[in-house]
Amino acid sequence: MSEHSSSGPQRPDGDDPRVTAAEFAMGLLSDAEARAFEARMAEDRALYDEVVAWQEHLADLMLDEVDAVAPSPQLRKRIEARLFRSDAPPFWKQILPYGFGGAAAALVLWLAVSSGLVNPDEDAIEADLVAELAPTPEGEGLVINAAVDTDLGAVQVVRVAGDAPENRVFELWLIAGEAAPVSLGVLDDAADSTVITLPQDVMAELPGAVLAVSDEPPGGSPTGAPTGSVLAAGPLTAS
Amino acid sequence: MTPQEEVENLIARVAMGDRTAFARLYDRTSAKLFGVCLRVLNDRAEAEEVLQEVFVTVWNRADSYRINGYSPMTWLITITRNRAVDRRRALRQPPEPIDTADLLPDSTPGPEATVMAQSETRRINACFDELPRARAHLVRRAYLDGDSYADLAEATGINLNTLRTWLRRSLIALRECLSR
Repeated sequence: MSEHSSSGPQRPDGDDPRVTAAEFAMGLLSDAEARAFEARMAEDRALYDEVVAWQEHLADLMLDEVDAVAPSPQLRKRIEARLFRSDAPPFWKQILPYGFGGAAAALVLWLAVSSGLVNPDEDAIEADLVAELAPTPEGEGLVINAAVDTDLGAVQVVRVAGDAPENRVFELWLIAGEAAPVSLGVLDDAADSTVITLPQDVMAELPGAVLAVSDEPPGGSPTGAPTGSVLAAGPLTAS
Repeated sequence: MTPQEEVENLIARVAMGDRTAFARLYDRTSAKLFGVCLRVLNDRAEAEEVLQEVFVTVWNRADSYRINGYSPMTWLITITRNRAVDRRRALRQPPEPIDTADLLPDSTPGPEATVMAQSETRRINACFDELPRARAHLVRRAYLDGDSYADLAEATGINLNTLRTWLRRSLIALRECLSR
């Protein structure tokens, strides 16, 4: 630790600036004392070095004493969403009231589809997570279901009823927890069923996450966040 | 590359806006920093809130790291510990009581001293071993748990001025030992 320039003989409990530096480093000073100390430190590089030296020793203590504990697996995504997608509108808040309705008839049809009875071309998908995307008021008449095969790393989306408006496409989004929506891709407007390969880093977040479909210009959202209305949404649950 | 150089390198890349480096820095350091948050806050939800704020700060302030003179883990731990302590004070969490038996003069090494004897022989640990057990305990509570003087006075029932005098004397003793 560097010697402080103004250190010298001190009363043991007196106003030794090296000890005030330690109290400052530990956050023990009152607000007024801390401000006064900062003013001194701004004039005195050695005092700043003294604080840094205390911080180094104390951080060593913390490193030795504190066990590493893993935070929730979703936390990094939440932080990245906050930092990197802060321009995305919080549209999942508006869809959640609609996302959990039941459409039993559609589900029955969907189960037929996912088991290959209706659309045998897609029988490679063995669904372990499914979602019924209930329509929002803007998506009235739309019936869309999705099935995820986590082993295959793919989602199959079936448009049971309803078409995209002219010169518009349906885009599929994944919303995990509080994170901003992540685009999974654009649905094929010429076919009733689209199979989309899922990015590896979303796989762990799928159970309980919400799938949503929005109305976008051809080619999909130009911004990386939904730009059009959310037409349908629903949570992924174990099949 | 040493672990320290690796973290330093990641911080430098984060300062240039490298998101991959940010993800790696998170993976590399978040568990330790979360341990720091938990030690101070004792509450997972609060600790995760603070950890989020810490990494947002790291992203926004990584460019100031090079000029501040800290080693990389010290920089991260100091940000984390200070945020957690701010949070704890905003929440007005009452301090954990300190058993006054912990404060009795005792020449045998306390439980902390035993733990420290087993861990790496860092200078700070060796210097803690030279303090009377009760004094070492108070300094550790102040730094590791983020107790204020008022918290420590409440937790021990000792008069605040007496307590501050004890703590400052302990810090002087530590400082003398650290500069030997």
